[in-house]
Amino acid sequence: MKTDVLIIGGGPAGLSTAIETASRGLDVTIVDEASKLGGQLNQQTQALRPLPSLYESMRGFELANKLIEQIKDYNVRQLLNHRVVGFYADGSAGITDEENVFPVNAKKIIVASGAAEKAVAFPKWTLPGIMTIGAAQTLINRDFVMPGREAVIVGSSDFAMETAIQLMDVGIRVKAIIEKQSGALAKEQEKVRELSRSGIPFYFNSFIKEARGNGQVEQIDVALPDDVITLNVDLVCMDGGRAPILDVLYQLGCSFGFQEELGGWIPQYNNRFQTDREDVFIAGNAAGISTHGPLLLTGMIAGISASEELQAISALEAHEIREALWKELELLEDKEMHSGRVKHLEKFANPVLKDQFIY
Amino acid sequence: METNYETIVIGGGVVGSGIAYHLSERYKEGVLVLDKKYPMSGTSGSTQAWVWVHNKTPSWYAEFSMYSAELYPYLSKKIGDVEYKRTGGLSPFFNESDREKAQKLAESYRKIGIKIKVLSREEVLEKEPYMNPEVAGATYSSIDGNVNPFRLIDMYMRAAKRNGVRYSTYNKVTEIKKQDGKYSVVSDKGAFECKNLILAGGTWSREIGDMLGVKIPVNQLRGQILVSEPLKPFLNFTISGLRQANNGEVLMGYSMEEAGFNRATTLDVIQETANMAVQYVPGLRKAKIVRAFSGIRAMPEDGFPILGKVPGQENLYVAATHSGVTLSPLIGTLLTELIMDGETSIPIDRYSLSRFGESEFY
Ligand SMILES: Cc1cc2nc3c(=O)[nH]c(=O)nc-3n(C[C@H](O)[C@H](O)[C@H](O)COP(=O)(O)OP(=O)(O)OC[C@H]3O[C@@H](n4cnc5c(N)ncnc54)[C@H](O)[C@@H]3O)c2cc1C
Repeated sequence: MKTDVLIIGGGPAGLSTAIETASRGLDVTIVDEASKLGGQLNQQTQALRPLPSLYESMRGFELANKLIEQIKDYNVRQLLNHRVVGFYADGSAGITDEENVFPVNAKKIIVASGAAEKAVAFPKWTLPGIMTIGAAQTLINRDFVMPGREAVIVGSSDFAMETAIQLMDVGIRVKAIIEKQSGALAKEQEKVRELSRSGIPFYFNSFIKEARGNGQVEQIDVALPDDVITLNVDLVCMDGGRAPILDVLYQLGCSFGFQEELGGWIPQYNNRFQTDREDVFIAGNAAGISTHGPLLLTGMIAGISASEELQAISALEAHEIREALWKELELLEDKEMHSGRVKHLEKFANPVLKDQFIY
Repeated sequence: METNYETIVIGGGVVGSGIAYHLSERYKEGVLVLDKKYPMSGTSGSTQAWVWVHNKTPSWYAEFSMYSAELYPYLSKKIGDVEYKRTGGLSPFFNESDREKAQKLAESYRKIGIKIKVLSREEVLEKEPYMNPEVAGATYSSIDGNVNPFRLIDMYMRAAKRNGVRYSTYNKVTEIKKQDGKYSVVSDKGAFECKNLILAGGTWSREIGDMLGVKIPVNQLRGQILVSEPLKPFLNFTISGLRQANNGEVLMGYSMEEAGFNRATTLDVIQETANMAVQYVPGLRKAKIVRAFSGIRAMPEDGFPILGKVPGQENLYVAATHSGVTLSPLIGTLLTELIMDGETSIPIDRYSLSRFGESEFY
């Protein structure tokens, strides 16, 4: 199979990059291991803001549906329930339907593989009932399954606070929020206040010492600064942050650099979201963990840049659009993240990890 | 760090560390191993690690390999558990017409005292019940086995260090000078002096030789390996092409391609390898592959080990070979004899660099 642009990952960044390329007449193929496009948006019921000016504020799953609707206007080949498992010697991507593997020869590859949640380990953390906040959210919002009745949340990021509220909305009792640091980490402090008002204790400088249970979590010991308390719970939701999913970029031989603000190791890319493997572009969380608005913008920039190289848009026009998108990105993105991104771009010429496959 | 040594070994892979350890049994001080990264970062960390004798040709090379395999049980006693298992080796064939070739191999081995049996289909399936029932037969030798290469090198290093050997890692050798009958080895972390210099740089041997104006004709040959998820123990033998490690993972692969120093894996070879594995052991079709890796073999131009003194150069030794895992205890033993006693208990003239002719100097 041949295509102009192969997009790996059909979440918000992959979809926005698909719109940018397909709308300019390119032959676009999008591959995703899930059975539905939209990625993590599908289980996100919270209102997303700020979004790029093109989009009014809406909920995650609404944005997914909107983006999916938009690509329907163009002829985008969708390979759902498919995975990229490696690359052939001639550079074609190897894609599997879990039965066979076939080559897809693409002129440009845009990697929008997203991020994976990190777990927080403690003794017996593998007991059923202990899961990441994203997993709990998926169960509630996408699968309509109650993950438990009595829960604690480990972590206090915006995402963790949002999940706590969503758990309460479906009638799960949140018994405590446990945070290692000395205060809540969420930027949207009103959510923290909302949770406090409903009587949920925040345990700061605290962590789970151990979980217990027969075949599933029943009890946890929480180490407070000067005490250990035991809570009866059947659900522990933990927020260990997220890390970019980079396997494909590693296999493609891209260079990497370390950027704390963007989630750690990420590929090096320039202001076109192009890696040092010139035919490989990058978008979304794989280019550094950020929030929804910026993720869409990175996908748009990558899409414009790939379109330019395939001569589907003039260099001048591409340049102007890119400038505008970068301005909006600076506006929308959290200051710290954005300065991390700018620092990261500067390291493009001198990557820390290069030629990892060359002895 | 001490800068004066009796002997310096360049390269801490299975070959270099094997030599360093065996030397340390004879003298307690004065050995330094230099590695540009760390032992196992080279080919020794990306290998199948069979200790393999059978179907090496010609028979004198098989004999050499056999002597090394015979040292393994003894080596594990000395340096500790390296997960060496003498499983026996099976080389299956799927065409009745291959039986004659197998019989000839067995015949030529008999003369040198290596017992190879040519098995019938029923005998193969009795030994290895998960083998493809369409197998026509197999050659079998009881001396073959495999080892955990990570443990092997780790144990070599621990034992060597206990005996006083020094290691300097992340320290690339960039230049070698000869002055006043001594070698001055210039590295990233400074210069070291020694009397004896041993070149054990594996697939980088050519560039290290260049530093001394010595041509060591070693080329690169990539090999790709697939690793399955851990499976219950079900393979009894080391089968040419695959083996099951102690932790249950099955390692598959026997590919060779020219790709320079590029260690990437490619789906072309991964698919070929998977097909080979499934042809041998159909049950593997259900197993999940959890990773693929590749290593760059150090392949001497004629395929045989390069061992011993560098002709015309005093106190300069070289050990560069394919099948370094199989051969390391023997190479370690023989090079130690050569350095300490001036001669070896098993002749190694055949493996001298001089066989490549005068062209080794320039
Ligand atoms: C896929 C594959 C499968 C294999 N299967 C088997 C098998 O089943 N059985 C078997 O016996 N063999 C097998 N081999 C071969 C075996 O692995 C090698 O022969 C063996 O590992 C070589 O060991 P070495 O110490 O010579 O090389 P290496 O382990 O590469 O060691 C050389 C060392 O030299 C160092 N070095 C290089 N240049 C410099 C410098 N300038 N300064 C300082 N240090 C330097 C390197 O960092 C390296 O650590 C296989 C190889 C491959 C790739």
